[in-house]
Amino acid sequence: MKENGQNNLSSELLSRLNEIGEAEIVVGIPSYNNARTIGHVVRAVNAGLAKYFPERKSLIVNSDGGSNDNTREAVLSAELDVDSVLLVSHPVRLVSRISTPYHGIPGKGSAFRTIFSVAKHLNAKACVVVDSDLRSITPQWVELLAKPILERDLDYIAPYYLRHKYDGTITNSIIYPITRSLLGKRVRQPIGGEFGLSGRLAAHYLEKEVWGTDVARFGIDIWMTVTAIAEGFRVAQSYLGAKLHDAKDPGSDLTSMFRQVVGSVFELMETYSSVWQAVNGSQPVPMFGFPFEVGVEPISVNVDRMIKTYRQGISDLREIFQDFLSPQTFQGLTACAERSGEDFRVPDLLWVHLIYEYAAAYHHKALDRDHLMQSLVPLYLGRTASFVLEVRESNAIEVEQCIENLCNVFEAERPYLHHHWNDRSRKEKDHARAN
Amino acid sequence: MPGLIENFVIEPFHRLAQQLALVVPALITVLVILIIGGALAYLARLITYRLLVVTHFDRLMIQTGMASTIDRARVFRSPSDFGARLVQGVLWMFIILLALSATNAQMTQDLVVRFVNYVPDIIAATLVLLLGSVVSKFLARSALLAAVNAHWSGARLIAGGVRLLVMSLAVVIALEQLRIGRTALLVSFGILFGGVVIGGAIAFGFVARDLAREWVQSILKSRASEDEEVFRHL
Repeated sequence: MKENGQNNLSSELLSRLNEIGEAEIVVGIPSYNNARTIGHVVRAVNAGLAKYFPERKSLIVNSDGGSNDNTREAVLSAELDVDSVLLVSHPVRLVSRISTPYHGIPGKGSAFRTIFSVAKHLNAKACVVVDSDLRSITPQWVELLAKPILERDLDYIAPYYLRHKYDGTITNSIIYPITRSLLGKRVRQPIGGEFGLSGRLAAHYLEKEVWGTDVARFGIDIWMTVTAIAEGFRVAQSYLGAKLHDAKDPGSDLTSMFRQVVGSVFELMETYSSVWQAVNGSQPVPMFGFPFEVGVEPISVNVDRMIKTYRQGISDLREIFQDFLSPQTFQGLTACAERSGEDFRVPDLLWVHLIYEYAAAYHHKALDRDHLMQSLVPLYLGRTASFVLEVRESNAIEVEQCIENLCNVFEAERPYLHHHWNDRSRKEKDHARAN
Repeated sequence: MPGLIENFVIEPFHRLAQQLALVVPALITVLVILIIGGALAYLARLITYRLLVVTHFDRLMIQTGMASTIDRARVFRSPSDFGARLVQGVLWMFIILLALSATNAQMTQDLVVRFVNYVPDIIAATLVLLLGSVVSKFLARSALLAAVNAHWSGARLIAGGVRLLVMSLAVVIALEQLRIGRTALLVSFGILFGGVVIGGAIAFGFVARDLAREWVQSILKSRASEDEEVFRHL
């Protein structure tokens, strides 16, 4: 059921907000059992607000999903050592803090909905959201995400991180290339997790009837980015350095991650089909912050297991693939499965055709959509294994060049997407010919 | 002599004429019903076909997974063709019943009444089979995808088992609805189902020991590797 995002604040929270009155900056921290890390995040945010926005009235709001490890207490009790952050001027205004449970479907999206409602209620000019399991957050993140909104009249600030070459492979192989190709804006981390947005954009999000869908779970990040770009809001990105998380990942189930994130992209392609069909090429978006080199944590990857899953997928799911993939693409995938060891590769062009055919199949409802997303998982693991083998000896610049090359193929193959999108499904065509 | 001719030639012909006079109108009625009914059934097939094509019935069947089943039969051009011929077949059944009832014979009348009373059961059984086919295909595909994504090597076997189980259940319910061999059927199904479970367990224990070991190892290994791997997809 679709649900409008307004009027979801409890009476207790409303009376607390009425006491506060107004706030120029609202920083939201969604959480679920993050007592171990959220104190650090709250302290960093508090320091950021005190250091970079001493004269602006600010609020930190923790939107919690029913934690049972004292997360909310950790938020309220986190102490900021003012001397240790070397404030140039002492804060004129104190930073208020609220911790409240959110209502609705459990997930990050529902937590964001409460944060946006709070921002709207307080007439906030800027709203910043940061994850509660961050280990690398610094006070400057608040400045980098909020200042462009407050001083440059921008609406949406996406993060730009330095990550390990094997980190964020859904982002690198699907989400970034496809959003860039479709919407024409090079937002490098469209599902980064930390964002800055204007008060008007937060209010605009609340008016959308998506809060009962997968957007309310883990599809929120991509939905926010795509909605902001597709609806003409002014978008930029800020360089935040490295992103280090707590070991626990709330979306560690790859299948549901796919359904919620990649499925949300395909769903958004339906919503904004008239927008992306008119886009050609891509442009960079303004970048804030000072890029610097950082060390990133090493990541271990089990390539053999990924290749094995890919091969099993090709073998066991062939009837499913043959139902909606073009014969050339399926043959290409089968040929990849036959390559062994270090030679295993899923080429860029084949991968791009595959993703575009999946998008078209989602559009044509060629298969149950949950099943469609699940069937992509082994193929994605194959592509990831191929990427790992390809960049094993590469440095960060070379890896970025590989991703850039993939993006260029995504952009060059747009006619392929248009053809499949506007055409009927293969099976339907077979039947139409027979009819 | 004239009496003889009267008795052995004219009289039988007269009786035959009387019999024919009774039967021929009924036969002509049957023939007319069959010809007109057949034409109407054909017309209904054409109209249904056009309607199904226009309303994208093929797409719906592709989405439910039924299209593959229909295609695999290699009898029908498309799901729309299947639907149209199904309508024609049902109409033919009613036309034949109507034609039989037009003969006014007691036996055919009884047959028609019995068949008409049986029609709801046939429809219910057909619906059960259709539903069973759709559900079994959906569940089998769900099991297959889940098993592949869980790295289980016997994924197709699991999916096949799920399909067989659900379809067997649908067939038993359908036959029960048709009142065909109720007791024997239930006992047979019980024996078959029990046999499959015991057989499966024995096979898993003896023949598929490697599979069982691999399965358990894969679960343990994946848990262990999840702990050691800090691979982030997003």
